[in-house]
Amino acid sequence: MPRPLTDQTPAAWSMAAPAVAGLALFVGLPFLVAFGLAFTSARLGSPLPVEFLGWEQFRRILADPAFLRALANNGLFAMVVVPLQTVLALGLALLLNQPLRGLPLFRTLFFMPVVFPMSLVAVVWVLLYAPGGTGPVNAFLGWLSFGAWSPRDFLHDPAWALPAIMLTSIWQGVGFQMVILLAGLQAIPAERYEAAAIDGAGGWGQFLHVTLPGLRNTLIFVVVVTSILAFRLFDQVRIMTQGGPGEASATVIYAAVRAAFERQQVARGAAMTVVFFLIVLAVTLLQRRLLRQER
Amino acid sequence: MRGLIAGLLLLAALSLAACGEESSAPPGADDGPVRLRVWVHSGQPGERAVIRDQVARFNAAEPGVQVELTVIPEGGYNAQVQAAALAGDLPDVLEFDGPFLYSYAWQGHLRPLDGLLPAAVRDDLLPSLAAQGSWNGRLYAVGAFDSGLGLWGRKSLLEAVGARLPAGPDAAWSATEFAQLLERLAERDSDGAVLDLKLNYTGEWFTYAFSPVLQSAGADLVTRAPPLRAGGVLDSGEAVAALRRVQDWIRAGRVDPNLDDAAFTGGRVALSWAGHWEYPRYRKAVGDDLVLLPLPDFGAGSRTGQGSWNWAITTRCDRPEAAARFLGFLLQPDEVLAMTAANGAVPGTRRAVARSPLYGPAGPLRLFVAQLGENAVPRPRTPAYPVITSAFQKAFQDIRNGLDVEEALRRAAALIDQDIQDNRGYRAVE
Repeated sequence: MPRPLTDQTPAAWSMAAPAVAGLALFVGLPFLVAFGLAFTSARLGSPLPVEFLGWEQFRRILADPAFLRALANNGLFAMVVVPLQTVLALGLALLLNQPLRGLPLFRTLFFMPVVFPMSLVAVVWVLLYAPGGTGPVNAFLGWLSFGAWSPRDFLHDPAWALPAIMLTSIWQGVGFQMVILLAGLQAIPAERYEAAAIDGAGGWGQFLHVTLPGLRNTLIFVVVVTSILAFRLFDQVRIMTQGGPGEASATVIYAAVRAAFERQQVARGAAMTVVFFLIVLAVTLLQRRLLRQER
Repeated sequence: MRGLIAGLLLLAALSLAACGEESSAPPGADDGPVRLRVWVHSGQPGERAVIRDQVARFNAAEPGVQVELTVIPEGGYNAQVQAAALAGDLPDVLEFDGPFLYSYAWQGHLRPLDGLLPAAVRDDLLPSLAAQGSWNGRLYAVGAFDSGLGLWGRKSLLEAVGARLPAGPDAAWSATEFAQLLERLAERDSDGAVLDLKLNYTGEWFTYAFSPVLQSAGADLVTRAPPLRAGGVLDSGEAVAALRRVQDWIRAGRVDPNLDDAAFTGGRVALSWAGHWEYPRYRKAVGDDLVLLPLPDFGAGSRTGQGSWNWAITTRCDRPEAAARFLGFLLQPDEVLAMTAANGAVPGTRRAVARSPLYGPAGPLRLFVAQLGENAVPRPRTPAYPVITSAFQKAFQDIRNGLDVEEALRRAAALIDQDIQDNRGYRAVE
């Protein structure tokens, strides 16, 4: 390892400065503000004086079954969507890595939902999930089961609301992971496959011993990013179910937005986001420990 | 400490809300026209077109004042107002849904209009609107129209099942009679869904449309006299029983989900629980077959909603006399009638009502005027209203989704009472 001729730390810092300043201003500072507000009685626009309440807001939200349910929903959503979406994206990427006719067309089709704004996708899926036999999803399931499927009102059914949102989210997001994995696949040298074939590895063997190790870093990146995106779940909930039925599809961010902007309870919303931040931070650190990237 | 917190809140707001445009310094007398920033809710297409016309006419008639209109969707209107207030970015003239007035006035965002509007204009307002626009003995807001809520029906379908058509609120269907009528209508309906409750709407609609059900059963959202309280009122036995009936209609499949907002105009349902604003559209769709009926009586008499969007001048406005001229213009009989012709609302001034073809003695919408006297209950006039409505909307959504009515209402009442306690009973801060 030859030592650099000159110390380049100042240059590095000056190049990182714009991004660091942006992060500090738009992520760090609001978080510090939220942290401070969580210990007060702050209300949006209230003429009453703000008081220091200590842990009161935290005590309240942790005793609130609705908030705990929202936390659980976030966890469940991440635990289902992250593996499912990653596996699905890998499958699509492998399919599109074959020399097919009309490949650019398929690639565009699979990637297209990513380009649509989530709010638009959510509105469209509300229509797809329409209750009754004429709703597209119900009609499709009826056709698939030769009429054995009894139509459901997915978005207003406690058992189906969150799974319905999961499906929408996966459909919208899978193209993004697919493109990243596709890039990873194409970076694996063809010689490795040839060598594996000479050593007598079949298709499955090649996948296990060449493709997966070659994709390791890409997969780790995809899993971490998908996890963070999964925790940020908000738009779909707001548009499709408003957190209902009951708290069946409520998420922490949705609950916080509702408290702060609908009921002006800023301190309560801030406390929710602080608790949530700590949990997401812990999850992300854990993932980093478990999934060390190879240099 | 307070300054620090306010600063922190402001920073939070700035990082959350998109930064609005910088307001220019107040123009001098010879500095070109006065700019008035006006926020209006998007409403129905017809309403939007009228308000744009009105602004154009006002700007042409008053070369010294230039009104700039910003149209905002009503779904999260209050949240927008709160964020703008925090960022110091409220417009000069603000339109908002009636019952939010007390919260905004309590927060100190509104100017009293008593000294700004001529007495002749103030005295012309309907009593229901004058009451809605007042808080703590001052007039803060004026409305060009009051609202009407009822059941729109298709006469031919109702007569086909032998339904009696109530002539007025006193003759309203009882809740039991109404449930039986739904069953009879369902027998002749292809999908069994015969009632539209506008479940496709979001936000304030649910409180406006279904708090009358509570009042019709002898319950309410909160106490109407101090001390302000929701417990024992919103979650009382009467309230639970009444909303259980509504839940039963939904459970039985009598209510159309109305995703496309065409349940009534498309002929899928015989009855639509909706406001005055549907009159132009429904009239066009079904013509003379359209009939307007009072809401069902849940035991204590038919009750209905009232109050609507109204106008106020914010404390941020530095030319209130120009803003008051704009409000005065909107309240001229011709302008009131132009707006109510577009949205079917009850004209908000005595002079306009007297000239209205829709609300005259033989007008098709006279029920709305008849209801405003006895049967219409204003939404609670308290700064706690944003929390009350948020909690009730959530409860109604839960009830709509089949959750236990008592549980949903008890949670809402607890949430409201906690907030009242946190705000020390919302006493006026002078």
